[in-house]
Amino acid sequence: MPPRKRMFRPRVCRFCTEKDLVIDYKDVKSLRNLITERGKIIPRRIYGTCAKHQRHVAEAIKRARHLALIPYSGQNLY
Amino acid sequence: MRRYETTYILRPNLGEEQFSEIIERTNKIIKGDGGAIINLERWGNKKLAFEIKKESFGQYVYFDYAAPGSTVHEMERIFRIDDRVLRFLTVKLADAIDEATIASETERAVATAAAKTAKAAEANRPDAENDVETDEEFTDVD
Repeated sequence: MPPRKRMFRPRVCRFCTEKDLVIDYKDVKSLRNLITERGKIIPRRIYGTCAKHQRHVAEAIKRARHLALIPYSGQNLY
Repeated sequence: MRRYETTYILRPNLGEEQFSEIIERTNKIIKGDGGAIINLERWGNKKLAFEIKKESFGQYVYFDYAAPGSTVHEMERIFRIDDRVLRFLTVKLADAIDEATIASETERAVATAAAKTAKAAEANRPDAENDVETDEEFTDVD
């Protein structure tokens, strides 16, 4: 088996370091960075967000999905 | 009184008259129970990320208000009955809000809305003198 690739992971949560970053379900543009092409929520272990902010992110994404601002699944992003 | 924000999606092909009728009715429910509207935004016709009730576009209306919880319940009941409302989402922003905050927040919302329209107008017409000329040109072409 090949050695496992080490992925870069920021050590601190970006929402903790940059205070003016707000997590808002209405802000589709910034939520786009927090989901994969398939529309999945990017996990904490990749993004390095702290538990508290990951919770806020997940909540915001779910709200945006309910309002059809971002897809539940699928690649066709508008 | 609590502070809430609600976004709802209407069917896109209703026409302006019905849009304003629904918005009016919703606002009346809020005001009738002693609530106050802080901000109302029409996001316009937007493409939905997925189809809802066979519609692929939706008319988004967002508003920010202060009202007791029972009002929200009543409003959502009416939304559920109304076929023209595709989706709605209410989020509580604050557990309590007083008169002074309502007034100042309303002012702030009006100011930001005014700034937005001014900015949009400026973007459309960077120079007033030039604008007249271009307008003439356009009419010539027409």
